[in-house]
Amino acid sequence: RVSSDGEPPKFQPPPKPVIIDRKTQKEERRFLSPEFIPPRGRTDPLKYYIERKDMIQRRKVFNIPEFYVGHVLAVTTADPYASDKSKRFVGICIQRGGKGLGATFVLRNVIEDQGVEICYELYSPRIQAIEVLKLEKRLDENLMYLRDALPEYSTFDVNMKPVPRMDHEEIPVNKLQVRMKPKPWSKRWERPKYNIKGIKFELPEHKMKAAQKWSQPWLEFDMLREYDTSKIEEKIWKELSEELEK
Amino acid sequence: MMPIWTKSGEKHAVTLLKVQDCHVLRYISKEESGGKTARLLVGGKNASPFSKLESAHEIFKEAGVPRKQKVTTFNVTDDAIIKPGTPLYAAHFRPGQFVDVTAKTIGKGFQGVVKRWGFKGQPASHGQTKTHRRPGAISTNKAAKVYRGKKMPGKMGNIYRTSFGLKVWRINTKHDIIYVNGSVPGYTNCLVKVRDSKLPTYKDCNKNPPFPTFFADGDEELPEDLFDEEIFQFTDPSVTFA
Repeated sequence: RVSSDGEPPKFQPPPKPVIIDRKTQKEERRFLSPEFIPPRGRTDPLKYYIERKDMIQRRKVFNIPEFYVGHVLAVTTADPYASDKSKRFVGICIQRGGKGLGATFVLRNVIEDQGVEICYELYSPRIQAIEVLKLEKRLDENLMYLRDALPEYSTFDVNMKPVPRMDHEEIPVNKLQVRMKPKPWSKRWERPKYNIKGIKFELPEHKMKAAQKWSQPWLEFDMLREYDTSKIEEKIWKELSEELEK
Repeated sequence: MMPIWTKSGEKHAVTLLKVQDCHVLRYISKEESGGKTARLLVGGKNASPFSKLESAHEIFKEAGVPRKQKVTTFNVTDDAIIKPGTPLYAAHFRPGQFVDVTAKTIGKGFQGVVKRWGFKGQPASHGQTKTHRRPGAISTNKAAKVYRGKKMPGKMGNIYRTSFGLKVWRINTKHDIIYVNGSVPGYTNCLVKVRDSKLPTYKDCNKNPPFPTFFADGDEELPEDLFDEEIFQFTDPSVTFA
């Protein structure tokens, strides 16, 4: 190297290596499946504790992967009437409902121009495998509006290969705005009650304004509706991680 | 209520009943009670002794037990008499048994004839003047009176009702919980009376029940969970049809 003063270049120590501890970064993101959180009510907490024990027992034997609404899943179930005694269905997860052992998720796909939705129970013993094919979150938690969207948004290839995941950190959010079929729709999705951000509304301005008539701006300030689940989630997460490590 | 799956993959809904501090309070012999069989008074769920008079506490003091919220009678044969003061546990019942459950139904207050008795009412339009949920005619012309027991509006609910022939799927001995098939009258966390079924089809269904009852200080040690044969246990792998 050419030095500025004619003297031999000063020894520059190599830059210190930056240690990225992948393990601690992985632990920062925790996913607690929504069916573990008990609903608000006057039931004895003992009932939820016993239900959680059963759920953990099932999870030890059968792996239920982490998934959100908007992921594309493939589910294999046992069927006594099929020739191979098992059925495989691929679809996008539209909604996740139910609490406890009765938790369900609905998968939607369009097969040969016919829209098909199947509601599976997460803890049913007939499910033999759940594979996550494509990981992506959407802008909403409930994708029921796909029923009134153009069929291209709900079609997924049945023999799709699982998309490989690069990082074990962030799940990408797909900000896709879906185009709809002409009205009438099964529900009035433009109304503020559904709070949908994932539709590209091509309705005229006055219709969008008229829909805002049904908005209830006081709902977000209603204190009786608040259900703070952070402490409950902490406890349940501790319980879960202890049991699953055994 | 919870779902339960059988080994063939079918789902059944199940109610959880907890046996909370049940003790036998008193033995009444056949002659004393004047019935066909001897009786045992059983109390459940401890309650505070300060909200009732001292005279009501006699039964509990004799048995040596805190005051109970509910006291019921069970008709028992002479060989099934238990000493007053013994605690009763959920292991008294076994999976595969059939059971009758009695409880007070949810009170609905004063209700009209449509909700209480399921009457159809009248149409909403086509000239009906102020008559949409009324009973209509209450008797005939020839009778010239209204019969006793005529279905009319009144207080609905808050009466004892029984669901018969419910199968016991599972018993948790650690927390004293009985998993009973189907639904049971009453609101969540209400007090309930569980008896062996009186239906003739389930007369011989008990193979080897703990007789007269399950004693906790006895020799046999039960596992924490007792399952029926047909239940899918979560420790097994997923169901496959061969």
